[in-house]
Amino acid sequence: MERNRQAMKTREITVGLVGNPNCGKTTIFNALTGARQKVANWSGVTVEKREGRLKHAGASIRVIDLPGIYSLTSYSMEEIITRDFIIDDRPDVIVNVVDAGNLERNLYLTTQLINIGARSVIALNMFDEAANKGLVIDSDRLGTLLGMPVVKTVGTRSIGITELLDRIVQVAQGADETARHIHIPFGDDVEAEIRAIQQKMWEDEAIGKRYSTRWLSVRLLERDTDASKKLKAYPGHETIMEQVAKSRAVLERHFDDDIETIISDRRYGFIAGAVRESVKKTAPRRVDVSDKIDRVITNRYLGFPILFLFLWALFHLTFALGEYPMNLIESGVHQVGLAVERLMPAGPLKDLIVDGVIGGVGGVIVFLPNILILFMGISFMEDTGYMARAAFIMDRVMHTMGLHGKSFIPLIMGFGCNVPAIMATRSLENRQDRILTILINPFMSCSARLPVYILFAGAFFHDQAGTVILSLYLIGILLAFVSAKLYGLVFFRGGSTPFVMELPPYRVPTIKSTLLHMWDRSSQYLRKMGGIILAFSVVIWFMGEYPKSPEIAQEYDTRISALQSHNALVIERTRAGGATSETIEAMRAELDAKVESLEVERISRAKRNTMIGRLGSMLTPLTEPLGFNQQMGISLVTGFVAKEVVVSTMGVLYHAGNGAGGAQQPIDRAIRRPEYGITPLSAYTFMLFVLLYVPCLATVVVTGREAGWRWAFISLFYQLLLAWSVCFLFYNAGKLLGF
Amino acid sequence: MKQDGDSTGSEVFFESTDLSANMEDYMETISLLSSRNRVVRVKDIAKTLKITMPSVSAALNKLREKDLIYYEKYGFIELTDQGKRVAELVYRKHSFLKRFFGDILRMEQGSADEEACRIEHHLSPEACRRLYRLVEFHDAEHGSEREWTDQLQDMMEEGPLNELREGQSATIVKVLGDSPLRKRLIDMGFRKGERITVIKYAPLRDPIELSIKDYRLSLRVEEARDIIVRPLEHRRHRRRHGKE
Repeated sequence: MERNRQAMKTREITVGLVGNPNCGKTTIFNALTGARQKVANWSGVTVEKREGRLKHAGASIRVIDLPGIYSLTSYSMEEIITRDFIIDDRPDVIVNVVDAGNLERNLYLTTQLINIGARSVIALNMFDEAANKGLVIDSDRLGTLLGMPVVKTVGTRSIGITELLDRIVQVAQGADETARHIHIPFGDDVEAEIRAIQQKMWEDEAIGKRYSTRWLSVRLLERDTDASKKLKAYPGHETIMEQVAKSRAVLERHFDDDIETIISDRRYGFIAGAVRESVKKTAPRRVDVSDKIDRVITNRYLGFPILFLFLWALFHLTFALGEYPMNLIESGVHQVGLAVERLMPAGPLKDLIVDGVIGGVGGVIVFLPNILILFMGISFMEDTGYMARAAFIMDRVMHTMGLHGKSFIPLIMGFGCNVPAIMATRSLENRQDRILTILINPFMSCSARLPVYILFAGAFFHDQAGTVILSLYLIGILLAFVSAKLYGLVFFRGGSTPFVMELPPYRVPTIKSTLLHMWDRSSQYLRKMGGIILAFSVVIWFMGEYPKSPEIAQEYDTRISALQSHNALVIERTRAGGATSETIEAMRAELDAKVESLEVERISRAKRNTMIGRLGSMLTPLTEPLGFNQQMGISLVTGFVAKEVVVSTMGVLYHAGNGAGGAQQPIDRAIRRPEYGITPLSAYTFMLFVLLYVPCLATVVVTGREAGWRWAFISLFYQLLLAWSVCFLFYNAGKLLGF
Repeated sequence: MKQDGDSTGSEVFFESTDLSANMEDYMETISLLSSRNRVVRVKDIAKTLKITMPSVSAALNKLREKDLIYYEKYGFIELTDQGKRVAELVYRKHSFLKRFFGDILRMEQGSADEEACRIEHHLSPEACRRLYRLVEFHDAEHGSEREWTDQLQDMMEEGPLNELREGQSATIVKVLGDSPLRKRLIDMGFRKGERITVIKYAPLRDPIELSIKDYRLSLRVEEARDIIVRPLEHRRHRRRHGKE
């Protein structure tokens, strides 16, 4: 026995954290593990799996945070994950986190844990709040009634965590006196039928070895499809299922109600009894302020203005305040680039490092300030409980598009940048709602697309530029709605998911949890997405630079040096002719401008010869029907990396400079030159295309990471198709109408 | 005025009056007015039924042709003997239907009256007779222990959750349907007899914020429709029969 215990001590204890949504499970997890967390997905699904390790009293403990669930049935992905984990991974201890202020509903899950036969410890969380409500809970009494130790905790303030760990170790070692196996009595009639089913199961020993037969019998009675699937693996499953059907018929006839109701009634009956014996209600110590806050925040008239104020603040903080660190990052990256440039010998390796890698890293970390600030805001909204209220207010609107109230915030954030916005969809618990929100997010015109609009709308629509830009934003929103409907029709035939959303009481958020949330999201972004984005950026940089065209370079070098010596000669001759120095200066400037324009022409020719340039030219059959010239086509291809690049590529291709040189025109004048053939109609079509096609590489990567690569490709393909079709229709309709 | 035509004691027969719904209304009105006032004039009928005087005259001519009233142009109107019989029949029908809606189905006085008006002209004599028996049965019961109408009334009050006002509480009767939502709700404590309160409706009247078992939950209106509840305080003050 003693040796056994010794063995236990050296072995790692696996602990699964189970609890209802909003019970403070995450705060317990954070209190237990701190920042030593590992985040992964459960195999095959995009439900987050968090793990942490720690040492306590000589034992090493591995803690796994399971998804928040109300019940251990199999109606959602989260429930199945938790259940399979308990059955298949056989954790040593289950920590059942229970909201002390909402005991009855939280204990429902506990009754199912008892039923499944899991060794558990209850963390009676937020007991301080319950005390304020006037609830006096006798945790020892409750533990005896439930057959498992009950520890009072406050996750946010790390209260009770040491005792919880003590109890975990004790239960894992089989040394806890409270821990015993109890049965939830379902009443004589139901019990008789359960026994009848169990009898059939005992005929096959293998079933009993793997499952608690009592649990399996109850699940089968409750028409659990997952349980019957599990049973199919055993030869005797037919006779067992026959017995189940018979028993169910007997019970339903007897009670004149369906079996799920009967059993859940018994469970709640048991809970009511346990609560009656262990909880005393006294006068509340503090008045519940939640209702008072809600009276304002979800008020019929104030609700919307307050929500919009919140969003406006969040948006501004994220994108306006975020701009300062972003500029710092950009100039920092630039400085590093310069330093490396000075240190390294010229050559292709230097180009790769300076422009490809350092530029690429800059492209990755430039999103970081946005992500940090946005998640600070979102964490604040979630922890206070405002997020649920925002969803409550907006659901009526979002639901008409087959979305969820909580889709609203990620969509609004999309106007700033789609990358953090897509990451923000994590607030949506339901997978279908979440994917749908991710898929339509790119149609929220992000701020990187604005420079393109400003350039083209300014150049071709002058006074109406503002209206034109607004119309693009509105078209984006409209097409987002249409696409949501379309995606819903094609992929989510099951109809919209129910809106069973808890409105947790308002709580004061803790700095610790906010910081952890921010850290978590940013580190995930860097580790999981940064690498891919960086790799892609280098590839695309390479495609934009290679193949080099030495013959073009040489041709222009010759032409430029010829021109330069010619110029020198001309100046020399003029000076000899006795011209004033002013005339000579003017002449020199004019001649220099000619040289410069040749330089620009060289870059432009070289760009066209690169892989991206050729790709752009190859795509001419596709871009021509939209009224785009070759330069526009190439800019769209380069714009796949990021929309900011569209304008700079156009600058290169249109021989436009920064406006300093005499021969060069500012880009907005350059694109208007008649020989390029851009009409207001094709300009608008171009903006429409920029609005609708893939926002940027990072968005595709984030979509792949958050929703799965299958969805990333579907979304990529859909956006290209939609952009092309809409632009084609628009351009040709416009032409027919005579624009 | 005779009270609630149920005091005849003897067997009541409902035969068809062979009159249109409109004409029955006229007969009823004339009978009512003549019991209230000394004389009945075209003007009074027009006012009661909110119809123009020429239309009333035209209708009165038709009734006169059927020998149901005495009526001279610009003169008073009086029922003939046969007219009195018809009016009596119509009135009796109306008054017991009103009691059917009011006493048994427990609708408000005003709406019980309205419903009776709506239905009275369209029932067959057989249906009338059977409904009349039901009212008689109710009257014979009242005061007895069973008070089945009180039970009936409780059921009458049952309705979907989304019909509750803000702040109103109810007990859950059942959750309809066979959806995952139903199982989720049952797991979350929506069971028979559980108390539930509508805290508020969202600014756009959907979803609904609810309070059940110490926590707050929101549900869309379409989802709340499947939850049948019995309000704890009745929506309106009710006339009670029997012992109270």
